[in-house]
Amino acid sequence: MSEHDNRSGCPFAFAAAKPSRRGLLTGLAAFGGLTIDGSLSADAAVRPHRPIDAAASGRHRLRFHGRHQAGVVTPQQAHGMVVAFDVLATSRDELQEMFKRLTERIRFLMHGGTPEAIDPKFPPPDSGIVGPVIQPDDLSITASVGASLFDGRFGLAARKPRQLVAMAGFPNDSLQEELCHGDLMLQICASGADTVIHALRDIIKTTPDQLAVRWMQDGFLPVEPLSFGHAPAQPTPRNLLGFKDGTANLRSTDPELMDRHVWVKPGSDEPRWAAGGTYQVVRIIRQFVERWDRTPLQEQEGIIGRDKATGAPLGRSREHDDPAYASDPKGLRIPLDAHIRLANPRTTETASSLLLRRGYNYSRSVTASGQLDMGLLFVCFQADLESGFLAVQRRLNGEPLEEYINPVGGGYFFVLPGVATDAGYLADGLLTPQT
Amino acid sequence: MKLSLSVSAAGFALLGACGVASAASVIAPADLVAPIADYKIYVAGEVDALVKATHDFTEAVKAGDLAKAQALYAPTRVHYERIEPVADQFSDLDKSIDVRADDFAAKEADPNFTGFHRIEYGLYAKKSTDALGPLADKLLADVTELQSRIQGLTLPPGKVVGGAAELVEEIAKTKISGEEDRYSRTDLWDFKANVDGARQIVSLLQPLTSKANAKLQTRLDDNFTKVEAILTKYSTAGDGFESYDALSKKDRTALRGPVTALAEDLSKLRGVLGVK
Ligand code: HEM
Repeated sequence: MSEHDNRSGCPFAFAAAKPSRRGLLTGLAAFGGLTIDGSLSADAAVRPHRPIDAAASGRHRLRFHGRHQAGVVTPQQAHGMVVAFDVLATSRDELQEMFKRLTERIRFLMHGGTPEAIDPKFPPPDSGIVGPVIQPDDLSITASVGASLFDGRFGLAARKPRQLVAMAGFPNDSLQEELCHGDLMLQICASGADTVIHALRDIIKTTPDQLAVRWMQDGFLPVEPLSFGHAPAQPTPRNLLGFKDGTANLRSTDPELMDRHVWVKPGSDEPRWAAGGTYQVVRIIRQFVERWDRTPLQEQEGIIGRDKATGAPLGRSREHDDPAYASDPKGLRIPLDAHIRLANPRTTETASSLLLRRGYNYSRSVTASGQLDMGLLFVCFQADLESGFLAVQRRLNGEPLEEYINPVGGGYFFVLPGVATDAGYLADGLLTPQT
Repeated sequence: MKLSLSVSAAGFALLGACGVASAASVIAPADLVAPIADYKIYVAGEVDALVKATHDFTEAVKAGDLAKAQALYAPTRVHYERIEPVADQFSDLDKSIDVRADDFAAKEADPNFTGFHRIEYGLYAKKSTDALGPLADKLLADVTELQSRIQGLTLPPGKVVGGAAELVEEIAKTKISGEEDRYSRTDLWDFKANVDGARQIVSLLQPLTSKANAKLQTRLDDNFTKVEAILTKYSTAGDGFESYDALSKKDRTALRGPVTALAEDLSKLRGVLGVK
């Protein structure tokens, strides 16, 4: 069985009943980086490890190789985390080294396997938190880059994606510098929270002088482990305001839709290397949930524009019914400033602002005043930042929902195109463009 | 203070008792005797200097000479920070000498908050030597007690070799963030003292490390050099350092790479040299 059958346009592979030869080789390569003597050099001897039989685990292996990275159109796993890093490289060569190592680790982690048993005199190379056999567990690690990577350090300014800038605050934002921006962003998602943390710790441990964590935020969603289309469709998960979130999202299983709204296409006005990538927006949006819970239901529903229990547009009966704004020009049924109406007025002029949302709920702690610090880790992807997120957010500025939310962090990033083959690495097109 | 250093006899006894893994390692247990003896001399020198400097420092505090006491605070501490892995083996003393207000529910107001940082709080946050007399006496008594306890201490090879990693872990945990000397902002003095202490151990072991894993030694040297180069930018006349607040964000980030790489590499040093 081949690792992946792409006829369906499905972005991930089923677990191979037997480990594929290619997967095995990938694993071997991935394990070449860290030798028993603690050498961190890339010239380390290749050490074997056993690839695992993922089918037996009940969870799956997502495909690393492809035109696009995993974690964008991939159905959402139950746990997600975004981690922003400062890149510590001081030259283009060091930057390339970092991306090669990162690629090697992501390949290994998404594939899974058994790390070589280590000499007990040395610190174990693996944290061990998922046990001696690393399961793929639907893991995806999606790498994207921030505008700061294109500053003077690496001479990449001319290759910056056209619209990539540092995120500026919107009127309702209270951005905290220590929760914003970054040279590199990793979005790590899996069915288990432990798998996510395991992957993060592996990457931190194997890139000690290459990457420094700047900030991170983890999140969760009430969804089952990925079913790969075999189980009945999952119900729409709810956010921490109690509303179904994702009802009217773009269908990520429709490749044509994704090509139109999400992926940067070859021949666009973006730099050539960027084709196959996408703009990623990350926003940490705190929700004032105590206050929300003290708000009358009809007001909550008017603010969102949907029925809280069913998720149906107000005045309609089923979740996926059309809100039919044309029949409600005065906003008697769905207020004109309802979140969904502003976010997507569903007119021909606003069709260009469709975007793919892929956020998580988060819960952190309590604030100094003893209120819950929780909210939405908003993530969205679009081929055009300006006509996507920026246009939608501008329409949302001043919406009644703002009274209950406060964005505090995040950033704009560009998801690197996928790695096509074993020979490739993340950012190879950016660092060594073909002429 | 004079440390009795019957190197060979004591050294071998200590190696026998304290588990030196053998077999696979290219380093023979006896190879470690000389570097460990040298390290004891270093520790003895630092603890002597600590007692002497603390004497002068506490005298200034008790004399009510705020400016002098402030000037002597950081240069006194460095002797403690250089040998922290040895000194903190006495947890009672480590607590009374070097505890931070964070460890108490009542923070600075807690009566058990003593030692360097309590005096630092008086000198820099309150800008006064008032009521610091008894704290000064206690600090001097504590470091003197430390000196005498170190005299009788056997140093297992694993503790010495592992001490380098311990010092760098200290840096990674609280020195980079500037949480150590929050009232005086003299963190970079401590930072450098931790680096010095770690480098001392690494230098003494260098012939052995080079033999066991030359690449590791090269990387250690490179990363120490990188850290020192950044710290040097902030040095002032007479071995001093600028305020932690002067440390640019860029340099703080740049320090994290070599410091974390040192922590990873030093965590393997015991394994490489075959000591437990
Ligand atoms: C804490 C902040 C937010 C909350 C609680 C929230 C909540 C919701 C809810 C409950 C829905 C309806 C269900 C659905 O269609 O998915 C929705 C839809 C939507 N939201 Fe948000 N949202 C938030 C922030 C944002 C932001 C920052 C954006 C983009 C700038 C955004 C864009 C959208 C879009 C495009 C839709 C779909 C509208 C449609 O096509 O009908 N939301 N949101």
